[in-house]
Amino acid sequence: MEREASELFEEFKELTASEFFRRNKQMLGFSGKIRSLTMVFHELITNSLDAAEEAGIQPEISIDLKRVDKDHYILKHMDNGPGIPEDFITKVYCTMFAGSKFRNIQSRGQQGLGCSGCVLLSQMTTGKPTRVISGYKKGEKLQGVEMTFKMDVKTNKGLILDRKPAEVTSTGVAIELQFKDVSYSLSEQGAFEYIRRSMIANPHAKITFRDPTGHKYIFERATDVIPPLPKEVLPHPRGVTADDLIFMAKHTDKRRFRSLLTSSLSRMSTKRVNEIQETTKIDLNKRPKDMKWEEAERIVELFAQMDFMAPPTSGLIPIGKVQIEKGIREILNPEFVATTTRKPKTYRGGVSFVIEAGISYGGESGRVVGEQKRAEIMRFANRVPLSFDQGSCAITEALKSIDWKRYGIRDLENAPITVFVNIVSTNVPYLSTGKQSVAPEEEILHEVRQATMKIARSLQKYINAKRAAKDEEMRSKIFETYVPVIMREAALLAGTDVPEYDQILAKVTRRPKILDEIDIDLSELADDDIVGEKDDE
Amino acid sequence: MTNRKELALNRRDIAVNKLQSLGEKIIEDVNLRNVPSIQVPSRGTSNIVYDDKKRYYVLGDRYGQRSLGNVKQIKKIGQMVYMANFCKSLVQTGKTATLREMYYVSEGWDIDFGDQQESNIVGEDLEVTLGISREDLGLMPEEDGASVYGDITVKDDDVEINALKMGKSGYTISPTIDEVELVDHNVQRVIAVETMGMFHRMVQEKAYNKFDTLIVGLKGQAARATRRFLKRVNEELGLPVYICNDGDPWGFHIAMVIISGSAKLAHVNHELATPDAKFLGVTASDIINYDLPTDPLKDIDVLRLKELYKDPRYKDDFWKVEIKKMLKIGKKAEQQSFSKYGLEYVVDTYLPEKLDAM
Repeated sequence: MEREASELFEEFKELTASEFFRRNKQMLGFSGKIRSLTMVFHELITNSLDAAEEAGIQPEISIDLKRVDKDHYILKHMDNGPGIPEDFITKVYCTMFAGSKFRNIQSRGQQGLGCSGCVLLSQMTTGKPTRVISGYKKGEKLQGVEMTFKMDVKTNKGLILDRKPAEVTSTGVAIELQFKDVSYSLSEQGAFEYIRRSMIANPHAKITFRDPTGHKYIFERATDVIPPLPKEVLPHPRGVTADDLIFMAKHTDKRRFRSLLTSSLSRMSTKRVNEIQETTKIDLNKRPKDMKWEEAERIVELFAQMDFMAPPTSGLIPIGKVQIEKGIREILNPEFVATTTRKPKTYRGGVSFVIEAGISYGGESGRVVGEQKRAEIMRFANRVPLSFDQGSCAITEALKSIDWKRYGIRDLENAPITVFVNIVSTNVPYLSTGKQSVAPEEEILHEVRQATMKIARSLQKYINAKRAAKDEEMRSKIFETYVPVIMREAALLAGTDVPEYDQILAKVTRRPKILDEIDIDLSELADDDIVGEKDDE
Repeated sequence: MTNRKELALNRRDIAVNKLQSLGEKIIEDVNLRNVPSIQVPSRGTSNIVYDDKKRYYVLGDRYGQRSLGNVKQIKKIGQMVYMANFCKSLVQTGKTATLREMYYVSEGWDIDFGDQQESNIVGEDLEVTLGISREDLGLMPEEDGASVYGDITVKDDDVEINALKMGKSGYTISPTIDEVELVDHNVQRVIAVETMGMFHRMVQEKAYNKFDTLIVGLKGQAARATRRFLKRVNEELGLPVYICNDGDPWGFHIAMVIISGSAKLAHVNHELATPDAKFLGVTASDIINYDLPTDPLKDIDVLRLKELYKDPRYKDDFWKVEIKKMLKIGKKAEQQSFSKYGLEYVVDTYLPEKLDAM
């Protein structure tokens, strides 16, 4: 029996973003019990850090995770950021793809999915509403509001159940969510490790965390320096696609395409625009909306062949080697740490990035597996810990390609070290929407290797010096044990008193000096003396 | 002839002085604020050379330095000094100890040895460094020396012993042979034989009378005390020494170690080698001339003969000819194979003919 098209299309529906992600929650990273909870922590913590930094506040976060039942938790998350004005609360927490980050700017989150994703997961697994208390300034006045709401996935909007004024003493947001089908774990992929790693990359933040057993962890800030806010930078010609050009052309207020190019792209001078016009024979004086797709394609193709200055790097704010060291020292309490921040480089010809790396040895470096210490790789992108998909990540690949033996580390797997790598970019090339692994761009691999090898050399020096000191110690001990015995026995043999031998002992316990002195002694001997001694034999 | 006891005392004084000098050298270095070191002659194969004039192996002039300032050498110095003190007290009290006993004594020291092998090596270090044999340091081998039968009188402490009156097995050479005085004798020569079987055969056939000889039963490779005894009777009493062994490379070499010393003991060969001792037989020529019952040479025998052929100690024409001849006939024969012609044959016929030819 045939059905008419109109009949078939009766069932055709438009999906809202919320509805889409309700059906595909793994695309938000919510797959697996441990991973789901880690992702919730990730979204809430990065949001709090971003908000506080934008407001110029030293971030302070307090997290309380209570276990209700197996795989069932209540999470309270509180920050000291600027707070959210009443009217925006449901937009932030209930509308997918809403946010302030759709710009070419270095930031922790980018898609505006995070917070609403957490609310969605809570609602999907428990059916419970979310409660938010927000303290924010309106003019000079501190305002407080408490709101209980649900997400209406059909409309991608919030459904307010309760709303009342709240007593607040400072700005900030407190959110309370319930989750089922999630699991708190101390493993490398677990929520606790996520917090710990966040603290290394964000030494200016303070986090207090009460775990399900009631134990309270206080991660103190290791520095008072709030990182400067990254600036928005214009996209570099090498980093844009034909689609980007058409999109710009549609939304610009410029009258001519050439002025659109010079004002929307970095490193695009009038001279360059003239070159493009000459080569492509496209009239760049026409109105932007008259730009055809084929023409945009030709221009982008030409971009790839032209020599541009590297993109401006003012938009990149690395953590900085000093701050990384502070973070590592605070969290890992290592015996030795070396850090480095490389100069900005570009990948795919037009996207700038900076690689930072740190290596720590001893203390709590490395991870304990059974009775052994194994190496620990901590990957970060724009200060955000990457907890999953380690195997496919460019950072892992680059680290594994290093010949560690050259640096006194027999194999990377079994060394008691922690390697920290952070990639800073306005556009980190993630391998998937989960944003947990970096694509193996050649330039990125190269930079990670260079950065790590540099600090590995410092570590090698330290390990060698330590080994030498230990050998020296053992040597000294041998001398201190044997010399007095030999002096006593030699005196007994010669039938004399034990001589004063402190000077000799001091001499022999320091090897390099001794060798020198022996050389001098030999050269000072007259030739006759040497011959005479030989004759005695 | 000097009184042996006085000589022995003299040897003891020399030993004590040399031991003492080791301690004095260290103390003197300390007083001069130099890092003490001891020079130990090298015993590596490259430092063992055959001395054509002396006709035995001697140590070359290379030596290793043991410095108190070297973390690997300081322990060895400690062990040497400790051992030197132990030897000094042995020599002073006239006692001796075996290497094994010394190893056990060392367990109570502040610097001990990992095993007896290690203490044996340090013992050798002390021998080469001081240039005296370990017997003079009071360190005795475990094993007794050979048996001696014949008219010789020796004095061990205050007891006089005549080797004709000690029963059929004769006088057993003591490890402390250097303390033994050779008092008197009534013989013309010494014949040393490899096996005790041959020794008893010669005693029964009264070879000591027939040839006016001492009979020495070596019991295989000659012990240090035996070699010392043979050297002394050769040099102190002026008696020619003849050696009669099995007719194979092993018998050859037992004789050669008595004559020219061993490479391993190059540092004390001047006390042990008897370069004038003669090899009587059994030679390859004997095997042919006396038509002796034989065994074919085994691969290892051939290999050993070829080694001996290249050895500087076998450079005489006599040895070159005999080794080549044995390789050519591919056969070897034991001493006792003369019994083919009757038990008395070896003493009645073979030995007289051989001694005449010497």
